Amino acid sequence: MPEPVLEIVPETVIPAHLIGQVQSKLAYVDEGIAGAQISAAGDQILIRLREGLLEDRAGELEEKVQRVVNEMAKGSFQPKVEVLEDHLDRPVPYSADPMDELLARGEVVEEETGVFTLGPLLSRLIDYFESRFLELAAHFDAQPYRFPTLMSARFLSRVDYFRAFPHSLTFATHLREDLDVINQFADQTVYGDDGLNTPAESFSRIQAMLSPAVCYHLYFSLADRPLPGGQLVATGVGNCFRYESTNLSSLERLWNFTMREVIFVGAKDFVLENREKARDFMRPIFEEIGLAYRVESANDPFFVGEFRKQAAFQNAFQLKYEIRASLPFKADTLAVGSYNYHQDFFGRHLNISLPGGSPIHTGCVAFGLERMAYAFLAQFGLDQKHWPRAVREALA
Amino acid sequence: LETINTELFNKVKNTFVEALKVEPAQVTPELQFGDLPQWDSMGHMELLMMLEEDFGVAVNAETIAQLVSIPLICAYIQEGGNA
Repeated sequence: MPEPVLEIVPETVIPAHLIGQVQSKLAYVDEGIAGAQISAAGDQILIRLREGLLEDRAGELEEKVQRVVNEMAKGSFQPKVEVLEDHLDRPVPYSADPMDELLARGEVVEEETGVFTLGPLLSRLIDYFESRFLELAAHFDAQPYRFPTLMSARFLSRVDYFRAFPHSLTFATHLREDLDVINQFADQTVYGDDGLNTPAESFSRIQAMLSPAVCYHLYFSLADRPLPGGQLVATGVGNCFRYESTNLSSLERLWNFTMREVIFVGAKDFVLENREKARDFMRPIFEEIGLAYRVESANDPFFVGEFRKQAAFQNAFQLKYEIRASLPFKADTLAVGSYNYHQDFFGRHLNISLPGGSPIHTGCVAFGLERMAYAFLAQFGLDQKHWPRAVREALA
Repeated sequence: LETINTELFNKVKNTFVEALKVEPAQVTPELQFGDLPQWDSMGHMELLMMLEEDFGVAVNAETIAQLVSIPLICAYIQEGGNA
């Protein structure tokens, strides 16, 4: 039986530059939505519904979809697209989706939606890319840090994370300290179609989240005091968690992924100059890897209510540039990293100051390790004979 | 205020008070983006949209990045650089 589909004509036509971003947010509108497709003209939305969704909920669903579209698209600002580097025409030998072969070989195994175990080939490839990113860290004499997987909810609240990205949060909890609750859990818990059958009241209050980003840990560790020496370059790798609902897909969009970051903290010029130097340093490395990519202005995936203003602000002040690698099999690109500048946002919200008393500025260069490996395999395939020499020799 | 029209400054000040929910005394002629906790990224966008309503200031990537102080905002309006 075909999936039921709801066709909606949006009250506000969705401009081309927003189609992807609105589409991804529609996943969060209702648990009854299995997927959404917006027409190229932005004037039609097809919502695929999960089986069993009552027909009388169609009106309610449409109202919520219209609300999302209006909040994101009505009066939206046309972004200024700035391309800093364009190497998308770099020739690459492969044009199929590597995922099927990776699954067939057992190189990737999906443990849960958006949660993958990676096998030896991918692990070695990721180690190699990390070694190249560590060259960047060494170039800046970045101090090594080890960050936890859990992140303080109290600190995330201080930096307004809940307002900006509520949809992608992953909460850490545990059973309440209560003998009866723990015994009940031990005796009665089963995993069913709706997940664990544990009553919500058995769980503790939320103190921690699974980290959605790496560099935040550094800023939290520096909070409420002057920055010794007035500047710092640090590096760390960590697990990140961003729940992406029905948008979770292959190694492109994982719930749990890893990022290597090089982080700059100090005065405005120090951060901005180093962000640019980092891009200059990475250019020949990407060339050696043979990656077809482009560096262009971008915005973070703010949630609906914050999206229009925050995205416009980020774009206007050139705060974020993404490294977008080509995915030849779908004639599209995938963000494998980014060059970011946060102005004095963290300095002000976390009370971190320069020796003169003004708030510190921050920036970071972040690389998504699984995405980097996936994009590389999408461009060069799994047969190492076709890989660029530098990569082939490193993995020999 | 030598180069900024006092009447214009007072009108702009009213817009600041309404957009950023601050006291009039906090809005000084030299005020810059970031000087007040309320004039952060979200406050800036609220402010520009209200300036658009009150003075016809165009809100686009250029003006968002340019209009970062009261002197710049007043000069922009004075020079007729509005939409």
